[in-house]
Amino acid sequence: MSSVADPSLKGTPTSDVETAPSGKLSVSAVEPQPGTPTDVDLMIGIQAGDPDALSQLYDRYSGILKALILRIIHNDTEADDLLQEVFMEIWNQAKNFSAQKGKPLGWMVTLTRRRAIDALRKKQAYARAEERLQAEPEQQPLAWGQNTTAEDITSGDRRALMAKVIQSLPEAQQQVIDLAFFQGMSQREIAAHTNIPLGTVKTRLELGLKKIYDSLKELKDEL
Amino acid sequence: MSFEEFQNSARLYVIGALEPDELQDFEAARKQYGAAAEEFVNQCYTLHEAFALSLKPAQASAAIKDRLMAMVRERSERGRGPARAN
Repeated sequence: MSSVADPSLKGTPTSDVETAPSGKLSVSAVEPQPGTPTDVDLMIGIQAGDPDALSQLYDRYSGILKALILRIIHNDTEADDLLQEVFMEIWNQAKNFSAQKGKPLGWMVTLTRRRAIDALRKKQAYARAEERLQAEPEQQPLAWGQNTTAEDITSGDRRALMAKVIQSLPEAQQQVIDLAFFQGMSQREIAAHTNIPLGTVKTRLELGLKKIYDSLKELKDEL
Repeated sequence: MSFEEFQNSARLYVIGALEPDELQDFEAARKQYGAAAEEFVNQCYTLHEAFALSLKPAQASAAIKDRLMAMVRERSERGRGPARAN
């Protein structure tokens, strides 16, 4: 079970650090129930120094952010420590968030990813992470998905929709995107890691990302 | 660089996958296309949300939140809460 549970599905996921104009292409947003503060409300609360706002944001998104950290550093204890650091940074850096430029979830995801990749590099854990990945081939790249079912989609589970979008990509495209996004590898590093020509890596990245982006746009139009 | 090429590069940019030489071309095109470029780059960050949301949420240690909130409340009581937005 996740610490996020239902509340995480009721927030208003949003975009980001360099960030996105509100309402442009937010596919993850779910309107909060009446009386429930939106993600932006919580960010404003944090900016005002309200610890309870951070507590609610933690309950809403710690599960997602920990999953992201785990996907990058592959160590549960380190992931917990980093999760704490991330939320401390959210608290300390909240002043840098602007709802005009983007939305809270995207901002938090970008911040979290950067921290996790930095941690991975600082600890020179690339080699160990690769070993773990190789020892768990069944998680690459299929662990990305969540065994999406039609029921998940009809119930409006945005997480399932995101997984479905990514699962729809050819595995070769999933692989390069996984290495770029979750391992922070450059195109050249991916080419070296996979023995795939650099041009092919670039093409797969471009095609895969475009498909995901276009799918997100379609979902935004439909939802 | 055409705008379509810029869009392809923007999607790579937001996940940090542009090579240094590509980054220079991208930044030049970003300036060239101005506001439209900025809007597109911002929209591309929704990819981050999508990737994160595609993962199965993980359970954090119960002690983490307790520790976090203790630190935050302590700072808050000392009047060292986060700076307000401008």
